[in-house]
Amino acid sequence: MAYQPVVIDPENPLGYYTGIYLAQTADERVKRKLGPDYKGGGAVTSILLYLVEHGVVDAVVVARRKKGLYGETIIAKTPEEILEATGPKWSIVPYTLGLREKLTSMDVGRVAFVGLPCQAQFLRQVKMFPLMESDFSKKIYLIISLFCMGTFAVESFLNYIKKSYHVSPDEIENISINGDELVVKHVRGEIRIPIRDALFHLQHGCLTCPDYTGLFADLSAGKALKPGFTLLITRTKLADKIVREASNTGYLKLSEPDEESLKIVIEKAREKIMRSYKYLSTVL
Amino acid sequence: MSKPTILIYDLGGCEGCPLSIMRVYPQLINIADVYTKCLGKVDLDREYDYAVVTGPICINSPKHVEELKKIRKNSRVLIAYGSCASVGGIILYARGGQEPRPEHRVYAPISRVVRVDYAIPGCPPAPQMLISLLNCIRRGKGYFLDLFRAVALNPKLSGFDLMDEVVLNGLCVGCGACVLSCPTNALQMIDNRPDLIPEKCIRCGTCTVRCPRFSQILIQRSRLLQKASSLSRISGV
Ligand code: SF4
Ligand code: SF4
Ligand code: SF4
Repeated sequence: MAYQPVVIDPENPLGYYTGIYLAQTADERVKRKLGPDYKGGGAVTSILLYLVEHGVVDAVVVARRKKGLYGETIIAKTPEEILEATGPKWSIVPYTLGLREKLTSMDVGRVAFVGLPCQAQFLRQVKMFPLMESDFSKKIYLIISLFCMGTFAVESFLNYIKKSYHVSPDEIENISINGDELVVKHVRGEIRIPIRDALFHLQHGCLTCPDYTGLFADLSAGKALKPGFTLLITRTKLADKIVREASNTGYLKLSEPDEESLKIVIEKAREKIMRSYKYLSTVL
Repeated sequence: MSKPTILIYDLGGCEGCPLSIMRVYPQLINIADVYTKCLGKVDLDREYDYAVVTGPICINSPKHVEELKKIRKNSRVLIAYGSCASVGGIILYARGGQEPRPEHRVYAPISRVVRVDYAIPGCPPAPQMLISLLNCIRRGKGYFLDLFRAVALNPKLSGFDLMDEVVLNGLCVGCGACVLSCPTNALQMIDNRPDLIPEKCIRCGTCTVRCPRFSQILIQRSRLLQKASSLSRISGV
């Protein structure tokens, strides 16, 4: 098996990888969907489009934002469904029983999963170490993990916005990051919250999580320093091949990663491991 | 290089685990020299590279306890395979009430009697599990290997422990891994947190090793335990 065992180590916080790329979407549909002022990448969406349109996978499992901070997990089979799920999510969207039922009953063979590092860990374990016959191990074809520093405890965060800024959850339309601030768009305008203040509302469990990039995934993806660019880390031959093919077929533009983006991702990954050590020692 | 020797030995139980292993015999005999009852060769007196034990140990049965001790002595790596062998599972938990014996509480995870190297929950683990595990042991490192080693030192694992250690401790992040891992649908997501339906939990332990938080706690705890035991050895306690 080509898969390398994961060792979580602050000396080597990015873990094992085969390649690192700076990527940008080259797909007009993705660009249109993201709009002119979106600062994120869209590279993952483009890879998913490549996978589905070239028949590499039958479906992709992604989270889609429903409203405000809430989301749902969907099994997307068409480019339209994939495009609809694009954009950032601010809370973790749990895997539920419905997902397993759908996955096992649906006529899909190969599935690509996009999730957070904790979910990538679960998927890798399911794939490598099936503990149940009903596990959908054989359907997991590609695991994509998004970088994650922690997700919000939704209730607590919404409460905070309501108390401090008088914006109720129903009024929130969009949340994005701009520099050191969270920009919350709501029906009556927008508010800017310093990220430092928002961090108090991360889930406690996220504070003990040591994985920033998604060490268990085939492919990790997250924001690069340059606006509009995504940093891709490939950890298996399969992921490498897919990224290159997506570029060869015009979905992605790839370039060498810049020193600064690399430095930041390594720093953040190390910071998260150290943070987890600190908090874990308090819960044992 | 000659193939490693592996003993597959069942101490009793529902037969689910032996059946699951039987399904990978065709693959297993390619990578190991297999000794097992159903292939007509079993010999507890010779040495093995690996011993895979399924089923719980009945601590009231001197015969089985002796067998298990012998297996431990004669094998380099001992694997408790399946929920009953690793965490007690349904056989420890079920209240049969048979007269006069056996009583279910005398069925224990095998780590109660001997030192275990790796313990694998799963009721039963899917066939491919054994091949993956052997590959992983051969490579000798990695998070999941640490995890299965940790289970051998912490055999109290069930949906109840998931609730106590992760959810009620405020460590759950709501990823849903546990819910998707439960074979009996004893866990359901309510307000982004799993909730346990106690009557449905068969104490297989699967959810606990699939939880990113619990697995991390287990590994960390096992490290501390190992450190403590090596310290006490030095100081002669
Ligand atoms: S910080 Fe870790 S546990 Fe929390 S959502 Fe991100 S990957 Fe999951
Ligand atoms: S909750 Fe489900 S997976 Fe967890 S121990 Fe109980 S039966 Fe097993
Ligand atoms: S697997 Fe652990 S962290 Fe994830 S939902 Fe279940 S209890 Fe919470």
